[in-house]
Amino acid sequence: MLTTLNPVALLTATVATLSLVLAIFVGSRSLGNFDPALIAYLFGCIFACFGVVYRYTVWLQRAPTWRYFCHGWRLFFSGKALVYGWELTRHFVVNFLSQRFILRRGKAVGVGHFLMAWGCLLAFAVTFPLVFGWIHFDLKPGGIDVYEIVVFGFKTSEFRLHSAMATLIFNALNWSAILVIAGVMLLMRRRLTHAGQIAVQTFENDWLPLLLLLAISLTGVGISLDYKFMEGRAHQFMAITHAVTVILFLVWMPFGKFFHIIQRPAQLGIAIYRKAAAEGPQAVCPHTGEAFLSRMQVEDLKAVTRQLGCDFSRRGGGSHLNYSPQGKRALLARAHLKARQESGRFFG
Amino acid sequence: MATLPATAETLIARFGPTLNFPRPEGIPGRDTPDAVVKTHCCFCGMQCGIKLVVKNNRVVGFEPWEEFPFNGGRLCPKGVQRYLQNDHPDRLMHPLERAPGRGFAPVGWDPAMERVVSEIRRIQSAHGRDAFAMLSGVSLTNEKSYLVGKFARVALRTRNLDYNGRLCMVSAGAGNKKAFGLDRASNNFSDLARAEVVMVCGANVSETFPTLTHWIWQARDNGGRLIVVDPRLTPIARTADLHLPVRPGRDSALYGAILHQLIKHDWLDHDFIANHTTDFDQACEAVADYDLAWAERVTGIPQAKVLQAAEMWGPARTSFLLHARGIEHQSKGVENVLSCINLVLATGRIGRPYCGYATITGQGNGQGGREHGHKCDQLPGNRDIENLEHRRYISQVWGIGEGDLPGKGLTAYELMEAIHRGEIRGLLSICFNPLVSLPNSAMIREALDKLEFYVAIDFFLNETARHADIVLAGSLHEEEDGTVTTAEGRVTRIRKAINPPGDARTDTSILLELADRLGAGRHFRYQTSEDIFNELRVASRGGTADYFGITYQKIEENMGVFWPCPEEGHPGTPRLWEDRKFKTPDGRAHFHGVAYREPEEVTSDEYPVILTTGRVVSQYLSGSQTRRIGKLVRQYPEPLLEIHPALASRLGIRERELVRVTTRRGAAEFPAQLVETIREDTVFVPYHWPGKKSVNQLTSGHLDPISKIPEFKVCACRLEPTGQTAPSPEESRAWASP
Amino acid sequence: MNTFRLDQEFFLDPQRCIGCHACEMACAECETNGQLPMIHVDYVERYSTPQTAVQVCMHCEDPVCARVCPAVAIEKDEFGVVHSAKTDRCIACSNCVNACPFGVPRKIEPMDLMMKCNLCYDRTSAGKRPMCATVCPSGALFYGTREEMSRMRPNSSPVNTFRFGKQTVKTRVNIMMPLGATVLVVDADE
Repeated sequence: MLTTLNPVALLTATVATLSLVLAIFVGSRSLGNFDPALIAYLFGCIFACFGVVYRYTVWLQRAPTWRYFCHGWRLFFSGKALVYGWELTRHFVVNFLSQRFILRRGKAVGVGHFLMAWGCLLAFAVTFPLVFGWIHFDLKPGGIDVYEIVVFGFKTSEFRLHSAMATLIFNALNWSAILVIAGVMLLMRRRLTHAGQIAVQTFENDWLPLLLLLAISLTGVGISLDYKFMEGRAHQFMAITHAVTVILFLVWMPFGKFFHIIQRPAQLGIAIYRKAAAEGPQAVCPHTGEAFLSRMQVEDLKAVTRQLGCDFSRRGGGSHLNYSPQGKRALLARAHLKARQESGRFFG
Repeated sequence: MATLPATAETLIARFGPTLNFPRPEGIPGRDTPDAVVKTHCCFCGMQCGIKLVVKNNRVVGFEPWEEFPFNGGRLCPKGVQRYLQNDHPDRLMHPLERAPGRGFAPVGWDPAMERVVSEIRRIQSAHGRDAFAMLSGVSLTNEKSYLVGKFARVALRTRNLDYNGRLCMVSAGAGNKKAFGLDRASNNFSDLARAEVVMVCGANVSETFPTLTHWIWQARDNGGRLIVVDPRLTPIARTADLHLPVRPGRDSALYGAILHQLIKHDWLDHDFIANHTTDFDQACEAVADYDLAWAERVTGIPQAKVLQAAEMWGPARTSFLLHARGIEHQSKGVENVLSCINLVLATGRIGRPYCGYATITGQGNGQGGREHGHKCDQLPGNRDIENLEHRRYISQVWGIGEGDLPGKGLTAYELMEAIHRGEIRGLLSICFNPLVSLPNSAMIREALDKLEFYVAIDFFLNETARHADIVLAGSLHEEEDGTVTTAEGRVTRIRKAINPPGDARTDTSILLELADRLGAGRHFRYQTSEDIFNELRVASRGGTADYFGITYQKIEENMGVFWPCPEEGHPGTPRLWEDRKFKTPDGRAHFHGVAYREPEEVTSDEYPVILTTGRVVSQYLSGSQTRRIGKLVRQYPEPLLEIHPALASRLGIRERELVRVTTRRGAAEFPAQLVETIREDTVFVPYHWPGKKSVNQLTSGHLDPISKIPEFKVCACRLEPTGQTAPSPEESRAWASP
Repeated sequence: MNTFRLDQEFFLDPQRCIGCHACEMACAECETNGQLPMIHVDYVERYSTPQTAVQVCMHCEDPVCARVCPAVAIEKDEFGVVHSAKTDRCIACSNCVNACPFGVPRKIEPMDLMMKCNLCYDRTSAGKRPMCATVCPSGALFYGTREEMSRMRPNSSPVNTFRFGKQTVKTRVNIMMPLGATVLVVDADE
């Protein structure tokens, strides 16, 4: 078993996990601010950290990924930080904050994903610091209705109980759950009615993540509703189910569809690469006579395919990869025509 | 006055053509349809089987109908996209009345009908019955075609009824009647599958009848060889064993020269000729001097290739000859057809398995339509309107006196000329867009402007109908039941999928009400389309196109029945002439002496280049339907002038340069497309587009003396580069050109 | 319920293609594509010939598109069907578009997504034939069993080995070649 493990990833993941543990220890003031009720969540997080970093490292080591990864950073530090910085900001706003590209894939998926994603991100922002003991709320000494927000052991700001601020903060997870539920509903409806989605969807990849998020959100909101309307009679059920689903989510994070939350920001690197590619010299297809791709990417592809053990170089020099997709198709059609012609018959 | 009620631009803005695209997120209801209706494509004579998916009285998609024997699910792009003519923004939902300055205003059915009938009465009482004419089309079912024929003769009582089949296969029909005494493809297309030689004469099968390709390729899979005669190297010709790039308008010279070779090498079926044909000597005599050198001089095809064609065709054991508009759209269309038939008869390869001959009828119901309805010289069952016996029979079926049955009228183009001369003052049109589809469109436009009253029945406001005083909102193909007869002679069922939307009505109910208001109601008592068909069966009984033994039920059970089918127990006739009993008076097939003559218009110093016209795969006829379907328009957005690079370089014409093409009728500009796949002396422009983009502004009104088909395929033109490069095709709005 | 038929295969025969684009229109009707055609039909060089190149995904045994994908977004399923990029992973780098030796994948720019022919998975997973091969009027695209094919075209051999330059590629989809041929070589002439 150990031999199949990736040593680099193992090392990185171990270092990252230890660092997290250290950060938790320091950030919670030697666990002083740590809430023991959240211990199960904590272990989930630590496992997720290890898994995610391990998988990310394995992923980075793939030849094409590593090439883009290095290339992206090289470009970023190539002295054009201003240009790329601006490009990154633009890309971040358009594709990460607004997720425009998903909207363009379809209205339902765009809106649904937007709500769900922001619900999740908001929940992460609240949950992780709370679980790590990095943040907590203290009753201000000498009163009964003023709370202080304590971050890494430092008092930052305070708010009055029953104020709007208090409603916002104490219910942050409920707000995020409502966003997620709305998003999940939209996406589920699409998965139930869109024939194209129905044809290609799988339970593990497409339904399980939605169901998991729905369970987490419903039980999360359920805890609050239970307090308010049912005098906590369902508390145990809600709390346990919530904990189980959240931990499932954390443990599954490195393996399943949720890994894209971690992976996706790599697209920022692609944005830089594409910017550089667009500004650099272009490759012209020998068949169509038109530019079709940057020369940088064509050369990168040749190198990557060679690394993967593929050799597209043609007799008498040149490469099949020098041709545009249309050119490649024409080459094939011509080769087929030639083979047919030489055989003396096109048919039969 | 039938001038345009508003500018063309105003009318286009309101009535289209508008491009209909499917919604990317899918069409609601497609996965939970109310019905999946087995019917046929509305385009072209192949009449491919197709299933329409229906939801909430809308056609929302299609499924291939894989069991239908001719096409087995195969379709062309028009078939795939045909569902998008439904639920279309341009659909006429209620009758319209001309509103000068504004275009058209909605009007109720009652006042619209009232107006139509009073105008018909006024014109006919002032100028005679024949001063009101009717033009029809063969996208209509057999039932509607029959109804139109009866309506014009019994209700309108005009002799001036003709149809757009006049631009389709009338030359073939006339030739077939002369040679065989019957007008139908001699074989169904499955006889192509094992033909040793297939000769395709003037038919761009790959673009105009894509689904027929399957059968030709099958012949080749089985070792058959393919000869294609076409001035252009079309996709079907690209891999052909022999391509004969004939100079447009010289076809009969080629077939004469091939016959000459057959005789010379004795590649003849003497038994067949002696026992089953007449006038072979005349055919021989006519081609006596047509040696290879002469053939090369006239047709522009190298001698060796002509000889090779004869060598391939002559000794073969089985063969199939196909022809279409290429040889038929000529002032000697009938002669071209007869010269092809001579080749078939000389080798005796007909009436046997895999020995076939057929014209590829172009329009959806080109075959059935011409047999039963709206042809100016014909009565149902392919009967002759000037034959007293035939007149008596039909008059009796229709319950009128023989003396009340009008005689032969003018053909479509002649009819427009008569309007232009002021002899015809009123017009009712259905399913015909002559402003785009007839040649010499400047004359057609002037004629329309002169009409005192013009009423059009249509589902979209086509370019011609813009001139109308009243437009009656009729029905689409999928909105009525009926039958259609395919190019093979197979009678098939068109099934109603939905009801006409809004206030639109079925064509049938419109014609029936008009007949009633014209006082002929008692002759038009039908409840269903099947009632009409049952009367058609009786009317066709004993005629050459005998449908008497065909019923709706029989068609449905057998996925089509081939006529003739004289009795209910008769299985139909997929292959003609197996009994060698031809339908000519003497029972024999007739050769014809075809002496070559030149086309009506030949090149001169002033007009030195030959202009020929045709179609593209993504469009159908005048484009009334297909120019409204987004992806079909995008596939080939504008008419291009195909020109050989050698000719282009002589004239200094560059790729995509706008070229001014001038003929004796007019001038128009088209972007040049330089291709080596066309003869150097010829240019080609497809004809589906309207207004300034219509090549029929340039084509000539010369007619075949027998079939009266216009000579679309040959005229003389002059080319001038304008120095301007055409904007990119994506920017073209040719589909809606004013 | 997946009723994919493993006895059926795709057979491509480009010289039969008449360039009518019926396949392209039909492909766009597929619900998985959102009205975007995944099949390619284009003129090889219209100036000199009406020849058209028609190309569906060949569903390689070891798809290069998947191997060059930095995001591991392209996967081959248990039936050998190579699917469009996973929507959650694809980062629209277009490596696959340009590495595919057949020129098949398309990058849908506004969606930042690669899409490609998935053998009409909505139809084939339901036991139906792909839309393009069902409507193709010329037999350039055919979907059926090997037996059907050898009966219909006894003088051609289905070939699923290609050589692009020095690289050999094996595919699930066949191309019909002259009888006895075993490989289609796409390389520069000597």
